[in-house]
Amino acid sequence: MKAANVSCFVFKFIRIHRRELCRARTAGQQSSTTQFQQDCSPGHHLPFNRCIGHILHRRYSTESSVKDCRGLLYRNHGDPSQVVQLEPMELPPVGAKSVLVKILAAPINPSDINMIQGTYAILPDLPAVGGNEGVGQVTEVGSQVTTLKVGDWVIPRDAGLGTWRSAAVLKEDDLITLPSDIPLLSAATLGVNPCTAVRMLSDFEALKPGDTVIQNAANSGVGQAVIQIAAARGLHTINVVRDRPDLQQLTDRLRAMGATHVIKEETLRRPEMKDIFKTCPRPRLALNGVGGKSATELLRQLQHGGTMVTYGGMAKQPITVPVSALIFKDVKIQGFWVTRWKKNHIHDEGAMRTMLDELCSLIRAGKLSAPACAEHSLQDFQKALDAAMQPYSSAKQVVVM
Amino acid sequence: MLRSVLRRVLGGGQGWGAGPRRPIQSCSALVYRKHGPDLDQLRMEQWDLPAVGAHSVRLQILAAPVNPADINMMQGTYPILPEFPAVGGNEGMGEVVEVGAGVSSVRVGDWVIPVDAGFGTWRTEAVCDAADLLSVPRDVSLLGASTVSVNPCTAYRMLHDFQHLRPGDTVIQNGANSAVGQAVIQIAAALGLRTINIVRDRPNYEGLAAELKARGADHVMTEDELQRTGLGHILQEVPRPRLGLNCVGGVSGGLVLTSLDSGGTLVTYGGMAKKPLQIPAKSLIFQNISLKGFWMTQWKRNNRKDFHLLQSMVDALCAMLRSGQLTPPTCVLVPFQNYRQAIQATVQPHQCKQVLLMH
Repeated sequence: MKAANVSCFVFKFIRIHRRELCRARTAGQQSSTTQFQQDCSPGHHLPFNRCIGHILHRRYSTESSVKDCRGLLYRNHGDPSQVVQLEPMELPPVGAKSVLVKILAAPINPSDINMIQGTYAILPDLPAVGGNEGVGQVTEVGSQVTTLKVGDWVIPRDAGLGTWRSAAVLKEDDLITLPSDIPLLSAATLGVNPCTAVRMLSDFEALKPGDTVIQNAANSGVGQAVIQIAAARGLHTINVVRDRPDLQQLTDRLRAMGATHVIKEETLRRPEMKDIFKTCPRPRLALNGVGGKSATELLRQLQHGGTMVTYGGMAKQPITVPVSALIFKDVKIQGFWVTRWKKNHIHDEGAMRTMLDELCSLIRAGKLSAPACAEHSLQDFQKALDAAMQPYSSAKQVVVM
Repeated sequence: MLRSVLRRVLGGGQGWGAGPRRPIQSCSALVYRKHGPDLDQLRMEQWDLPAVGAHSVRLQILAAPVNPADINMMQGTYPILPEFPAVGGNEGMGEVVEVGAGVSSVRVGDWVIPVDAGFGTWRTEAVCDAADLLSVPRDVSLLGASTVSVNPCTAYRMLHDFQHLRPGDTVIQNGANSAVGQAVIQIAAALGLRTINIVRDRPNYEGLAAELKARGADHVMTEDELQRTGLGHILQEVPRPRLGLNCVGGVSGGLVLTSLDSGGTLVTYGGMAKKPLQIPAKSLIFQNISLKGFWMTQWKRNNRKDFHLLQSMVDALCAMLRSGQLTPPTCVLVPFQNYRQAIQATVQPHQCKQVLLMH
């Protein structure tokens, strides 16, 4: 990993083993039929140019798009616009407990970018396919697969799957089904941000209808999910966004989603806040995706005994916490990472299923829409990555295969 | 306010209701009538005492420490402030000399400490509700009893209420030589926990480190060392701490935070550096560290009705005092009339706990 690309956010806690990913090996290796009948595992790799020749030996679905498997790979950490390449990829045979999945759509999230940059808390072994979220359709199942069938829509149970590719052979246990009657873009963007929103609204403060939640980064993927889920639960939301030329349009859009108040950062220090608190109680819960001064301002608005949950750090600045807030105002300051929640609940089928069911009900009732998305083909990945890295972006970039 | 009403009604020669007038007693007290930074407003005065009612108790205060919170209250910078005129001091111990007819929780001769802040302990006598007092055994030392209810109780609660710690687990704290810090060292040792103790560098650092180790500290480090090397070799001997106790804030608090194990808790109970904490988002998100605060006064108010909980904590601490597992902090005993010296010393850095002796 290039030292120059390492920022102060580098943590390598867990190396993800990417067994389905074909890696180039410098040592040449004779292929054999036996090798290809196994699931691709770290010990068995072939250089790409020799993989293609063996495609015909595998069991294959009749979907021609699956045959031409391509993915967005990176071999080094660094600037995504430099290190990410679109490459053909080998698909190993579908093992007994695996399925072949045609990826339908996969978004580009900030954590995906951080993973490529090498600044994320978990980093895959390289080379790796980018993308941790997305929805796919099962096109073939292994002989011992019991929970999935051909045609099912599936999303990953955990981070690290590498979703920016047209197809993948994945373990049954690494996937969970979604109903296929929800919009494609909702399904593709369900597993990270809406799940983060549900957990933050549920696990930290016992909120009742009429309570208030305050958040910054309100127009982010998480922010918009918070607005809608909170509205469905009868909660007021105070939504802080950065000032911008089209602030009125943004305000209208968020209010149409159910936001109670939309204010710019500067307003938090102004007398207007008194008027806001005539219409709703002081917040018990503050959600911080920004850090820095923005987070400190959220703390100031919290009720005595309230909680601030941090799920992101878009400003890349530490949170300033006055000691008096902790001692005399009794605020609690915690973090949330949906990936950790998923890992802790990997064997708790009920927990994940309950959450997804709640989200799908909201989607079907029209109470939870996907964020505004800008769709790109796999070919157009450069454009998609560049757009994803722009500040003040108003759309989630999604690769649609 | 109550006292001024009584003074007017009963001291002015006019009877109130039937029955003989009881004589008003008075005591010497350290009184202040305004807030201010320089603390000159504190004066020793004669202070009237009301008669002992059916549920009241009269006690002689024997000893009362001077704590930072007492100074802040006088300066007007504390979140709870008394009405004026006010008697200073929130902690101390006394001996019961008279009980009202309906009092059964304490008897004459018992040693007692106030339950709550705001008592006004810098005086020679007091009359209060029996319910405002907790009893302490007479076989703990005067110093031990008079300094048990704020700092050792804070240490006790912080070690019990935030992380489920088992013998062998590690606690890290800054301000380790403060009264709370010293209580943490000893109570942790009694619970089988290891402590990593951070102090500011100073001319006699080696002497201080030896003193803290004699109290039961496992490891002692300076702030500079922690900043330069992190926990370093210490982690070969003890597990990474899951509980961090912070009374300094600022850079020091941040260093304690980043030493914690995943899922750990930083409990802040003071801010001696008068600087806020700077928390990296990654500590919260990826390390799953929680930050909470602790305020003994708030805890007591939240648990005011649970007399048993309060008394059992004091009993546990008194048992440790009796067995020597817990010893009072290094104190300077100051006769009551020399109170100015005690107040001034408290606002100097690197000073011992000042304790006023009333009798």
